[in-house]
Amino acid sequence: MNALSILIFIPVLFALLIWAIPSAWRNSYKYLTLGAALIQLAVAVYIYLNFQTGAAFGGIDHAGQYQFVQKLSWINFALGDTTRLQIDYYVGIDGISVALLVMSALVMVVATLASWEITSNLKGFFILFLVLDMAVMGVFCALDFFLFYLFYELMLLPLYFLIGMWGGVRREYAAIKFFLYTLFGSVFMLLVMIGLYLSVTDPTTGNHTFNMVTMMSPANYVPGSVFDIANRYLIFGIDARTLGFIILFIAFAIKVPVVPFHTWLPDAHVEAPTPVSILLAGVLLKIGGYGIIRICAGIFPDAALSSAYWIGLLGVISILYGALNALAQRDLKRLIAYSSVSHMGFVLLGIASFTPEGLGGAMMQMVSHGFLSAMLFFLVGVIYNRVHDRDIYNFRGLSTLMPKYTVYVMIAFFASLGLPGFSAFVAEAFSLAGAFKSFTFNGLIPQWMAVCGVVGILLSAAYFLWTLQRMFFGKQLLKGGEAWHLALKDINLRETLTLLPLAVLALALGVMPWLVFDKVNDSVLAIVHFTSQFIGN
Amino acid sequence: MHDLLPNIPNLLNDALSSVHFFMPEIYLGVLFLVVLVTGLVFTRNAGAYCRIISVVGMLLVIAQDVIQLYLPANEVKALFSGMLLLHHTPVVFKLVIDVLSILLLIYFAWDKQLRAHKKGLADLFAIAIASILGLHLMVMSINLLSIYLSIEFVSLASYLMVAYKTDQGNSAGAGLKYALFGAAASAVMLYGISLLYAFTGHTDMVVPEFLQNLSKVDPLAVSLALMLVMAGIGFKLSFVPMHFWVPDVYQGAATPVTAFLSTVPKIAAFGMVLHLIAPFVLHPAWHGFDFKLLFSVIGIVTMIAGNFAAVMQKNIKRMLAYSSIGHTGFALIAIVSFNQAAVSALIFYLAVYALANIGALMLASHFANVTGAEDVDGYKGLGFTMPTASVCFVIILISLTGLPVTAGFIGKVVVFQAAYSVYQQTHNVWLMLLMATGALTTVVALFYYIKIPLYLFLKKADNNHEHHVSTPSLLIAACVISFLLVLVGVFPDLLGKWL
Repeated sequence: MNALSILIFIPVLFALLIWAIPSAWRNSYKYLTLGAALIQLAVAVYIYLNFQTGAAFGGIDHAGQYQFVQKLSWINFALGDTTRLQIDYYVGIDGISVALLVMSALVMVVATLASWEITSNLKGFFILFLVLDMAVMGVFCALDFFLFYLFYELMLLPLYFLIGMWGGVRREYAAIKFFLYTLFGSVFMLLVMIGLYLSVTDPTTGNHTFNMVTMMSPANYVPGSVFDIANRYLIFGIDARTLGFIILFIAFAIKVPVVPFHTWLPDAHVEAPTPVSILLAGVLLKIGGYGIIRICAGIFPDAALSSAYWIGLLGVISILYGALNALAQRDLKRLIAYSSVSHMGFVLLGIASFTPEGLGGAMMQMVSHGFLSAMLFFLVGVIYNRVHDRDIYNFRGLSTLMPKYTVYVMIAFFASLGLPGFSAFVAEAFSLAGAFKSFTFNGLIPQWMAVCGVVGILLSAAYFLWTLQRMFFGKQLLKGGEAWHLALKDINLRETLTLLPLAVLALALGVMPWLVFDKVNDSVLAIVHFTSQFIGN
Repeated sequence: MHDLLPNIPNLLNDALSSVHFFMPEIYLGVLFLVVLVTGLVFTRNAGAYCRIISVVGMLLVIAQDVIQLYLPANEVKALFSGMLLLHHTPVVFKLVIDVLSILLLIYFAWDKQLRAHKKGLADLFAIAIASILGLHLMVMSINLLSIYLSIEFVSLASYLMVAYKTDQGNSAGAGLKYALFGAAASAVMLYGISLLYAFTGHTDMVVPEFLQNLSKVDPLAVSLALMLVMAGIGFKLSFVPMHFWVPDVYQGAATPVTAFLSTVPKIAAFGMVLHLIAPFVLHPAWHGFDFKLLFSVIGIVTMIAGNFAAVMQKNIKRMLAYSSIGHTGFALIAIVSFNQAAVSALIFYLAVYALANIGALMLASHFANVTGAEDVDGYKGLGFTMPTASVCFVIILISLTGLPVTAGFIGKVVVFQAAYSVYQQTHNVWLMLLMATGALTTVVALFYYIKIPLYLFLKKADNNHEHHVSTPSLLIAACVISFLLVLVGVFPDLLGKWL
């Protein structure tokens, strides 16, 4: 059995199990889900430990350099005499996927532990949760575009119900907004995907293929096809490859989310129940970043390089706009949602630089933000569960009431604002270093963008510290009075068990960033090398 | 008369040799008579007998279709002196229609309103079988005369089916509206056909003189004649602007009849359009009326109008009616592409759409039977009291929207793929516009389809519904359909290899 397939389909197995178990035993569902998440984590750690590094394992555009590969013929039928629909079940990972895979597996466990707060319709919740889990793992492993798309779309429906059925007051609006935004991005991605399929042939068999690795090599494009690199083709007067790139970029930018495609995020994050917020921020946003690296930059490197300035600009706008919005929020969850927009901007800035530092920083930022946002949303969930309020101004002096909780909040806040010694510092430092270096390295983005990124860090320090001061320090004052005083107990064992590993990881990745960089490095270098061929074209 | 005499033996021989390739239709004819007589002979339980006989009979018809499927792949047989044309594509169309018909025939008796009809259902089965015979003729007809006759054949049967439950006001209204518009549409079509005959002196479109003579006539007049013919077919396909009857009729007719009307005649009409436009599109020297352009414009308008109108609907059947208009528009992408791959894609798309649409209407029946809800408002919170039906509804609607992993998604992919491959060769901008519209309207479609799951699961029930006990047959059928849609979505080879 292939380790990746186990990773992908373990949740389905457990979902079927939960489906079969009668509702009378509904208390077992969360333990089963936790079991599935823990098995996944074990498999992910196994994959991480056995993941080979070195220049021969860079992956990206070399099919032979991917690891844990499994390739099975899946769909193959003729349409008419000349056309065939041919799709492989093709999974494999390189450095870009492995880091995100392990991070996702861990965040899944955290999200499952956060699901203890769910009390209604347990069966539905955990089945949908596990389906979502499967889709997420599938997205990171798929090397066939069709398979990728399938998993990508498969995430939408479970999320719609998870937000819509277990969410807050405005859950219907948030759920449909999320669904429509993402689908809007992805239906056009479908058109690009089919265009790519018909533009590319497998060099060995001569058939059209959805294989993403094949799509990365300019030699495999059929001369005269829509996305042929050599002969530029125009659609409505726009270069087809640039158009394809823009469509894919928008699809993933909605997911990241990049300003101005971000408006679904505050609604979805705020209305979603805690476990879903954790998944959204921790894992699903990363799919956007992953897609931009793997698909936008991998398949359309020429267009990606020529649009690097705009990608960087959008990154900078996201950093600053997200941070300024976060400053203005009084809802703690909304504040964290906007801080996600801001932090994901660094990912975009790092990618736009197309330097080893920038891309490495972007990867690190995705992993780091995965852990930190999971932690932040979990922390909001803790307080919301106790008093069903999360307005910043309704709390003051929580540090005396919940000292242990405050410690974790401080760790999460300081780590997120980029304090040296924590993972986000390394990530942001590398992204910015890449952005600074890009000017001399390949001349893609100007240095003022990096300077703006630094301002973003300052702003994030401002909103996190200000929140800390408003909510946790000073004289104890609660809006709910004595009732809240009683309800706001310090964190229990389950919550500690969830938060401790995240806090440790935030610190560990800050002190030992090589835990990520070692695995990621070869692939990052491979992308830089691969894209550099297209500079100046 | 004397001039004709020498030809008679030849004509007779031709007719007799054609009979061999006409077996499914002969079976259907016999089946119609048997069902009709059964309905007359048995007064008690006539409906039940007719139902069994028609289903068994349809199985035999399918067996005959399957035999035809094994005809040599490239063989094209002209039957009855060029009235009908039999080759692989019509056979597949017939097979799809027959398989869906069995599902529909079983479904008729499960609807509460139809079952309560005092005349019984025996006649309905006879009418349905006759209609299926007409559908068979539609997909094979190639002569203007046979085209008109087969359309009328189906239309007459459809009028009767829509008006079957006339005890209720809106059903009678729907029946009348349908019959009036239908009669007007076929009159218009007949006028177009007579013009074409006057221009060319032929009703046979395959003979070379037909196109030659037509090129000599003023293009405007030819365009007018062809537009008139298209108006008649548009009535059956229900594309914009010939769609106005659809919402009222679909809403007013009994739900199984709606399921019938929204699927099989539409599939047959698409099969017929393929035959009708083939001489024009495939002939390299034909530079007159541009069918591809016409269908491109109609396709775009239909997709937009159908989908956007569906957004505002509250009644489930009305919403599905508008959505079926949108699906017609999408299927027109395959017509505009018009190559072998596009035909296969069209059949795949239509088969999957029809299956899902029948499933959706079955569930609409089920919910109406149990709770009496016909509007989406009545579905509030039902997801928790009727979980299985609601989950099936979600799967079926996802397939109609065209999202993975359902058969509807694969249907969209194959149509897009066929259109794209043609676009790559011809660089026809209309195809790109059609595909972009198709993609965009998917988002719109999601917006209204998701309304049903929204009411089922996200809204809380505001009043206690009175639940009636209902037979689980509809639910089981819906489960099977949902399962099939997911199965074909995951393993499309199961369906794809038959096309």
